[in-house]
Amino acid sequence: MKNKRLLAAILAVCCTASALTACSNSSTSSTATDSSASEASSAEASSEATSEASSEAASGLMSNEEIIKKAASEGMVGNWGLGNEYEIQALLSKYGQPTDYVTMDFTMDQIDKDSITLASAMTYNELGLIKNSYDGGYSYGDEIGIIDMNDEGVAMLEDMLFCTKAFAEANPNTVKAFTSASMKGWVYACEHPDEAEEIVFKYGSSVSADHQKYMAGEVAKLVTTDTKGNSVPAANVGQMDDEAIQQTLDLAKKYIKIDDATAAAKLQELTLDDIRSKDYLTYDGGAVEKSDVKIQLKWLPQSQFMGYYVALDKGYYTEAGLNVEIVSGGGDVSETVAVNNGTVDFGVTWVSNLINANAGGMDLLEVAQVYQRSGLVLCYKKSMFTAQ
Amino acid sequence: MILKKSKSLLNILSTVGLPVLFGALIYILWQTKVLHALFGTDEIILPLPDRIGSIISDNFTNMLPQIASTLIVALGGLVLGSLLGYFIGVAGAVFKKWGMGGLTIVSAFNAIPLVALAPVINNWTRDLSNQVDIRSTVAKIITVTIFCTASMSVNAYRGLTEVKPFSEDLFASYGSGKLKMFLKLRLPNSLPYVFTALRVSVPACVIGAVVSEYFAEQVVGVGRQIRENIVKGQFPTAWAYIAIACAMGILMYVILLIVESIVLKNRRAR
Repeated sequence: MKNKRLLAAILAVCCTASALTACSNSSTSSTATDSSASEASSAEASSEATSEASSEAASGLMSNEEIIKKAASEGMVGNWGLGNEYEIQALLSKYGQPTDYVTMDFTMDQIDKDSITLASAMTYNELGLIKNSYDGGYSYGDEIGIIDMNDEGVAMLEDMLFCTKAFAEANPNTVKAFTSASMKGWVYACEHPDEAEEIVFKYGSSVSADHQKYMAGEVAKLVTTDTKGNSVPAANVGQMDDEAIQQTLDLAKKYIKIDDATAAAKLQELTLDDIRSKDYLTYDGGAVEKSDVKIQLKWLPQSQFMGYYVALDKGYYTEAGLNVEIVSGGGDVSETVAVNNGTVDFGVTWVSNLINANAGGMDLLEVAQVYQRSGLVLCYKKSMFTAQ
Repeated sequence: MILKKSKSLLNILSTVGLPVLFGALIYILWQTKVLHALFGTDEIILPLPDRIGSIISDNFTNMLPQIASTLIVALGGLVLGSLLGYFIGVAGAVFKKWGMGGLTIVSAFNAIPLVALAPVINNWTRDLSNQVDIRSTVAKIITVTIFCTASMSVNAYRGLTEVKPFSEDLFASYGSGKLKMFLKLRLPNSLPYVFTALRVSVPACVIGAVVSEYFAEQVVGVGRQIRENIVKGQFPTAWAYIAIACAMGILMYVILLIVESIVLKNRRAR
């Protein structure tokens, strides 16, 4: 009996304490904006939903601009941070909004529970989770609308292959052999996403088979479509589109905020030649200088990296005289650090992460651009942005 | 007399001088890159101290809001956690039969790793407010509160119960009631124990604040800046924030020691 009473007392103290802090803070908070019904101007349709958009404009769905402004003014835009936020900040700036965002954890619970209304999602990962109804999915289906970074003109290129400049100069044939074998893997994976997904799953998967399959299909689209929506022929997989990388660099210079004056100055001086080289895309069969190489991924094993797993499984690396070990990422030792200090020879990262690392004093070099368009979108529940 | 004076001077020299000397030695080894050779690392991972210092001095005004946010969380959690811990200690001392058992439960709470606790509490507080700064701050403060509760409750319980038997008898022989004995004997007796607890929880509250910021929804705070900058490969800036976090912990500890020496002055003399 007494036991219960004390527990109740403890709980009461806890509750009052937290309630007090909540009250004292809320007095300073601004009142929630309740935007009145606004006529949806013709919605800027995303490439995938062109046909839907016109009918939705009629049913009262707001335009991308209105959605972004509403969510930003309410502080309801989510992103993961840690270098994934620059495109979102560029988009918010485009519409004159402050660049603050709410940190998302690695689930879609926040948008599910409406604690944010505009959530960042990768087309091949989180977007599938929120829409689909397989294990781990949130089953929203077509209720989810998206704002595509490519269509909004703020695309920054993501997954690509890199090593250090010193490694590339000392082992040019190894880099060329590895790059071309990897791209061969990517071409095959994009032509046979279902088989690629099975290969990835065999090597250890962080997500369910259904989601892996969805991911493989979406990743193939990113590899074979550029920022403008044009398709990329198999021969050009891994090629670097200077215009798209330049846009990435320009946005990076604008939105990467560095406190360190030395690094900030270096960031502004970076040119395309400091971050990428096209010299290693083709391999003419010279003897490799180093045959045992490791590559660290940006995240856990999943179809996001299917090209490398296919190249390994199909023996493309062995054909090129390489003995390759794939190291999964996702820890706090980022791939840029691991490559820079020689723990691994190659890495997969986003272009903006490499720019950030080089500004900070590393000497990394992109050797192949795998994703030709941005896979980042902002997604929202249509019901939250439909004018009544 | 002279001997006594020179002895205390020697004492000060050894308690203050040695740590300072050690710090200076580390600084020199660091700045001259001997440390880098020892640990087999480079200037990117372990930047030189002068560069870290210049980042702090260049950006100090920008860093103030981050420091303030961490301080609010650390101090808020420390105060709430200590009060809560003390109340639990009092409850344990009053209801003696299960007091020790209750404290064991509280201590068990303390054993939950901070990195597991912080995301869970983030989820709990999500419905609290639609203002991210409010719910995020509350979540962080609750995390630090739980982190600071256990040491205070255990120490308070000991301070309230471990009174000298003869003083208990003396109070009883004067016919004083339980309440009076509590106010005049048990409470004062627990004061040194409170400071013992604070010596643990003051540095802990800074650590708690820093780690809870890693998982918080709002992008603010010294701890958050450490993580963001490490993941982004900006090690000098990350080190600048690490240095600030250390300074905050040390400064708060020094303040605690000063307060303790003032409050417990008479007690020591006796």
